[in-house]
Amino acid sequence: MTYYLQLLLNGMVAGSVYAMFAVGLTMVYGVFRFINFAHGELIAWGAYLVLLFYLEPCSLPLYAAVVPALLVTVLIGLAQDRFVYKPLRHSSHITLLIASIGLSYLLRNAIRLIWGSDLMTYGLGLTRGISFAGLSITWIQIAMVGAALVFLGFLYILLNFTILGKSLRAVSDNMDLADIMGISMKRIGLTVWLLASVFAGTGGILLALDTNLEPMMGLTNLIKAFAAVLLGGAGNVWGALLGGLFIGIAENVGVAFFSPGYKDFISFAVIILMLLFRPRGIFGIAGGVR
Amino acid sequence: MDYLLHIMILVAIYSIFAISLNLEMGYTGLYNFGHVAFFGIGAYASALLSLQGMPVWFSMVCAMMIAGGLGALIAVPALRLTGDYFGIATLVFAEMVRLFFLNERGLTRGPMGLPGIPRPSFIAEGVHGLPMYLVFCVILTILVFLVIRRVTTGPFGRALKVVREDEYVAQALGKNAFVFKIKAVTVGSVLAGLAGAQWAHYVSYISPGDFTLNETILVLLCVVLGGRGTNWGPVLGACAIVFFGEAVRFLPIPPDFGRFVAPIQGMVYGLILVVMMLKRPEGILPEYRSR
Repeated sequence: MTYYLQLLLNGMVAGSVYAMFAVGLTMVYGVFRFINFAHGELIAWGAYLVLLFYLEPCSLPLYAAVVPALLVTVLIGLAQDRFVYKPLRHSSHITLLIASIGLSYLLRNAIRLIWGSDLMTYGLGLTRGISFAGLSITWIQIAMVGAALVFLGFLYILLNFTILGKSLRAVSDNMDLADIMGISMKRIGLTVWLLASVFAGTGGILLALDTNLEPMMGLTNLIKAFAAVLLGGAGNVWGALLGGLFIGIAENVGVAFFSPGYKDFISFAVIILMLLFRPRGIFGIAGGVR
Repeated sequence: MDYLLHIMILVAIYSIFAISLNLEMGYTGLYNFGHVAFFGIGAYASALLSLQGMPVWFSMVCAMMIAGGLGALIAVPALRLTGDYFGIATLVFAEMVRLFFLNERGLTRGPMGLPGIPRPSFIAEGVHGLPMYLVFCVILTILVFLVIRRVTTGPFGRALKVVREDEYVAQALGKNAFVFKIKAVTVGSVLAGLAGAQWAHYVSYISPGDFTLNETILVLLCVVLGGRGTNWGPVLGACAIVFFGEAVRFLPIPPDFGRFVAPIQGMVYGLILVVMMLKRPEGILPEYRSR
């Protein structure tokens, strides 16, 4: 029994990070109506940039390295929009998707160029977990859940209690109408890319603290985030959150029932099944917060 | 000289692969981002059959049929989706196929891959067989090119383009859009299977790592660069991409920097894809459209 509870706990930890990725991805979809394939690279770049500022020659302490790393991640996110997606805003979805696949390939290979293809870690050594009732959890994992709660709580306040957040929801609901009402698209676009980059970067850093860094981490997590987005219904922020948690738990509990080699199969199957049978999502909160 | 033969064989194989993707992407407007799955299925099916002692030509025909059959089977549910969602679903399908190759060790030997895949019996093994294998590949490529050109310039090709431009118009003209799409995907998968089989028998060793998203991006690049919906576009794209990929090896790069070559190559591929979308989405050879 404790075994399954432990798997559930691991799943919730992983799920909270997936939720952060998924929320960013779904916000970009909600406002700009395309699937940003390069979102995964923001995750990887966030994690690798911390490595850059943490190791020689910068050798900042880890907590201080996070700040410039997130700043650069945001710059990459904004540059994606400025140089690729903005000029293509009126093209078809497919053109945007192909461009974002190209962009993601470009960014991923840039990581391989700078840091090589091998597995890397921050080299913090093993941390001792704390145990209660037979379950164990490390401080980093607690930090993962904590950070997810803080960030998503902040997002909740932003979306519900500020003019900026409300206009963001309005744009996501109906871009033309929002434009007519005098909502500045420029400002909204900036906010969305900022939030998406910060969420992806932070999630990537936390994930790298818990496990390791590799150039493919962006793509792997993008697929999980995308499965979560579809579970929640594309464009639905709180649906994506629940979807992320669901994917995390399903993956980790699933390990008890079949070979770990097929762990990623769950996200793949979720994507295909959701696309085919429930393209509007199952966690969709009808008419609620989008 | 042998190296030049090697490059030309790759061009021939990639041309078939790109032509097959172009049939789906360019003519029918089905953005299949998982086309490498059928390339991989063809490669594995043909390799496994020939390793069991079947003649190579028979394995290749079987591989094409298996790839085509699976393509049709997958297309039926997947074609309920359109545009970018079809793309994502096929991409995910390709990753599932790769995981299958990786994990079903009883069948595919997993990450160890399949070594010692034989060439057709009339072609010598090793370097001596290269000129003959090139002739074999080129004949197949020309055959595929001619058949596809015949098909796409005829009524079938025009119907595919109508389906691409507007499904409702196609239906109003009495063309069953769904059936046309299924046909396009099936033919595309058969040809991708052929390319995969040719490739497996050429390199004689395959492993799941050969059928990743990288190959999808490469063949996508061939089609997009050359020109979607044209006959010569994918062939031109395949030439350009393969020659670029191989030419990089001849640059005077100090051995210490050897590890930088592959990432830079990848960055250039990604950049070309982005720039093409921004500046010239129709490709080098644009599709002729009568206004």
